[in-house]
Amino acid sequence: MKKSHFRTLLAPLCVALGLSAAPFGASAQMAPWEAALYEAAKKEKEFTVYTAHYNTEEMARICAAFDAKYPGVKCNFVRTTAQVAFQRLQQDMKSNVAVASVFSSTDTSHYTALRKDGAIIQYKPNNLDKMVDSLKEYNDPENYSTVTAAALMLITYNTSLVSEQDAPKNWPDLLDPKWKNKVSIGHPAFSGYVGTWVVLMRKLYGWDYFEKLEKNSPQIGRSVNDTVTMLNAKERWVAAGPEATTLLSRDKGNPLAVVYPTDGALLMVSPSSVLAKAPSPNAGKLFIEFMLDKEAAEVQVKTHSLSVIKGIATGPGKKPLEAIKVARPTADEIAKGIPEVKEQFRDTFGI
Amino acid sequence: MSTVNPSARPVGRMAVLGQRWRHLDRSYWVWLLAIAVLAILVINPLARLLIVSFQDGETGAFTLANYLSAYGRTRHIDALVNSLILGVSAASLCLIFGVPMAWALSRTDMPFKGLIWISILGTFIIPPYLGAVGWILLAGPNAGWLNRLYMALTGAESGLFNIYTMPGLVLVVACYSFPYVFVFTKSALDLVSSEMEDAANILGAGNMRTTLLITLPLVLPAIIGAFILVFLEAIALFGSPALLALPGRFHVVTTQLWQFFEYPPRVGVAAAYAMPLLGITILLFWLQRQITSRRGYVALTGKGGERRPVALGVWRWPMLGFCLAVCTLSFFMPLTVIVQAALSKAWGQGFTLSNFTLDNLYFTMFENTLTRNATINTFVYAGAASFIAILLALTIAYAVNRELVGKRLGNTLSFLTMAPFVIPGIVLAIGFYAAYSSPPFMLYGTAWILILAFATRFLPIAFANSNAAIRSINPELEDAVRILGGSRFTAIWRVVMPLLKRSLAGAFILVFIPATRELSTAIFLYSINTQVLSVLLFDKSDEGNFEMLAAIGLILVFITVTMILIGFRLMGRDFMLRRTAA
Repeated sequence: MKKSHFRTLLAPLCVALGLSAAPFGASAQMAPWEAALYEAAKKEKEFTVYTAHYNTEEMARICAAFDAKYPGVKCNFVRTTAQVAFQRLQQDMKSNVAVASVFSSTDTSHYTALRKDGAIIQYKPNNLDKMVDSLKEYNDPENYSTVTAAALMLITYNTSLVSEQDAPKNWPDLLDPKWKNKVSIGHPAFSGYVGTWVVLMRKLYGWDYFEKLEKNSPQIGRSVNDTVTMLNAKERWVAAGPEATTLLSRDKGNPLAVVYPTDGALLMVSPSSVLAKAPSPNAGKLFIEFMLDKEAAEVQVKTHSLSVIKGIATGPGKKPLEAIKVARPTADEIAKGIPEVKEQFRDTFGI
Repeated sequence: MSTVNPSARPVGRMAVLGQRWRHLDRSYWVWLLAIAVLAILVINPLARLLIVSFQDGETGAFTLANYLSAYGRTRHIDALVNSLILGVSAASLCLIFGVPMAWALSRTDMPFKGLIWISILGTFIIPPYLGAVGWILLAGPNAGWLNRLYMALTGAESGLFNIYTMPGLVLVVACYSFPYVFVFTKSALDLVSSEMEDAANILGAGNMRTTLLITLPLVLPAIIGAFILVFLEAIALFGSPALLALPGRFHVVTTQLWQFFEYPPRVGVAAAYAMPLLGITILLFWLQRQITSRRGYVALTGKGGERRPVALGVWRWPMLGFCLAVCTLSFFMPLTVIVQAALSKAWGQGFTLSNFTLDNLYFTMFENTLTRNATINTFVYAGAASFIAILLALTIAYAVNRELVGKRLGNTLSFLTMAPFVIPGIVLAIGFYAAYSSPPFMLYGTAWILILAFATRFLPIAFANSNAAIRSINPELEDAVRILGGSRFTAIWRVVMPLLKRSLAGAFILVFIPATRELSTAIFLYSINTQVLSVLLFDKSDEGNFEMLAAIGLILVFITVTMILIGFRLMGRDFMLRRTAA
């Protein structure tokens, strides 16, 4: 119903502005490649994304925005953690059931494996130019995957227990003995964020960083988001935590704050790929394009994710990506490093 | 058992067949069907698992490498030992919690039985990982409410409790598993008539002595069955250990198993690592048989028998105190924390009026179609799964106990029916997936794969319950029907079923509730249109959104309690499972 209203309103508007009224309302503003992709996608009717990028509500909003922008193509999603998403995809492939058209994991090693199996296809999005420049280097050079989500891991603290001056300013500050029994972290074997963070710390400060951190008896949860629960419960005072979840919890009124570390917040970039056996390959491609356009970006910044494209105003009390010092290990360092640090972590912390 | 009446006269072929058909015990086909269903639900997925444990992940060739990587590390062995410690301690604590409460509610005149029963029901409905989060807030070493209270009262520097320890984990696991022991023991006690106790009393034994020497030994099979069940549940749990053991710096089998599913997933190693659990199950069943096979436990005969509550006198109050103490640990305290979070804008702000909101509940119930659909799915699937599991379990338990199948086959059937319980849900899900995602059984993506997986996962509970119940019924009751010319079905339908009604209601609760909170199989088998609440809850905990997590949990508890109360009303008996008609 919404769509038809939109069309009936749009048509006279286009006429009034002296634009040629195209047969399909919204496609009037579409570039030819977009209109062609949309037409092809409409024949496929719907598509499914396996995603670990967002929480359920945010993904539901993104899908709703997609449905509004491209009526006639329905966006479905299955939201799980990255490992579960990958396991499901493997299950699908083994039993020749093609459900997903797009795969969005937070674990970049999944893409290496999928590419080896010929499970993902090359696609260079037309909207690639809109991407924030500093993110472009993380796209696959051969276009097997495109960055569609970005987020930060940084220092977080409970403001009712720690004042702004006393809060840690950089990563080594967490090693200060005054934080003994007060630090909360996740586990690299359970969280891709934490795994990448451990690789980054090892790269910047050597494994010594974790030997010292162990002396502070940090509390080790599973997911990086567990730190939010620990800070809210006042069980722990400071944490290496996620920006988006912490700020979402703060928005509700919880006493939380984030610190952008002077030695660099960890930048997490998460790619998406169109699957080789996608039941709806064109809709899948259209979804990738959509993720690099302003409608998706506006949903993202509202929920404190970072916009992957330029020129989107950030949420209140939050820095835009361009203004933050970020750090990220290279793809190779991550791929090689994560299995290594999982073992090292188990040796140092005993679990 | 003779199924065919040998005919002496040579008659026409058709006549013989007709006669055979008339005299054939038609129930035979039901047992065969039950065995076939069991093959689909249990044997096929288990066989796949066993095969996978000997297969190379890439080539599928035979290998022992999976076993080497599963047991080649001391860390992995430590986790196994930890799981055994957890299982034995938690199961023992469950007996300490559950057996006295079952006795108090079933056999005594203790006051406030309804309150205690509702609290136990509530405890059972709270998903264990939600309860574990509640306990973190209660007994976290730095800021747990109990520790802060203790420090405020005594002026001590540090708190008394630390939930991130093995004893802490044992307590939390026991809190959310003891309802199994309670319901098992209670439904068995409900069948014991007072005559035997009277006999002991007449011979001079006091109430205490009678209870310990007469009443409890009569329900020993139920208690042992429950112990095994709780032991297996404790070693197969994932949520609570993940929340408590990891920060406490130790592993158990399930948290270790999880790591075999990291990329690249090593399903073979996981399968190999799950094998000792199967071995332990076999051992436990053998032990159970050794203990219970030597005596008779038939409590329900055709000779009537009256049940009178034991008068506790002043001991009513200490008994109530004990029941309330357990319920406080398992239900009242964690529930307070959950309610506080569900009704908070920001639960980190604590109890203030300005922090109060109904938005979380409102949003979950009315605005979010995802939660609404998931709620409907959850209860429909759990209901269907319970029905299938109980029907199948009852059929098999009956066939085994009345020796309608050979003894050896009977033992095998009992084992197979109990086996799914030890297989950690995540592994069962993989087995199910492997078995039912390709023709001829293409169920992946449908509601059926979830319903069948839930039914399989909780089949052991249904079976243990049905088995104990059928064992307590003297076959003479059915023999009477058969002698008077009734068929076996008449005997079952008119005599056995009415006698079993209460036990079955207990079994239904025991299967339905865990099915509403089942996570580990659901997470691998659900799809877009078959979302269930447990998965949503887990997502919320993964998203650090504790207000929403608590709101969904609270709604789950509320709806389930209401449904069970209404259900019992409709079934013509009160919620205490008391007998309404003699």
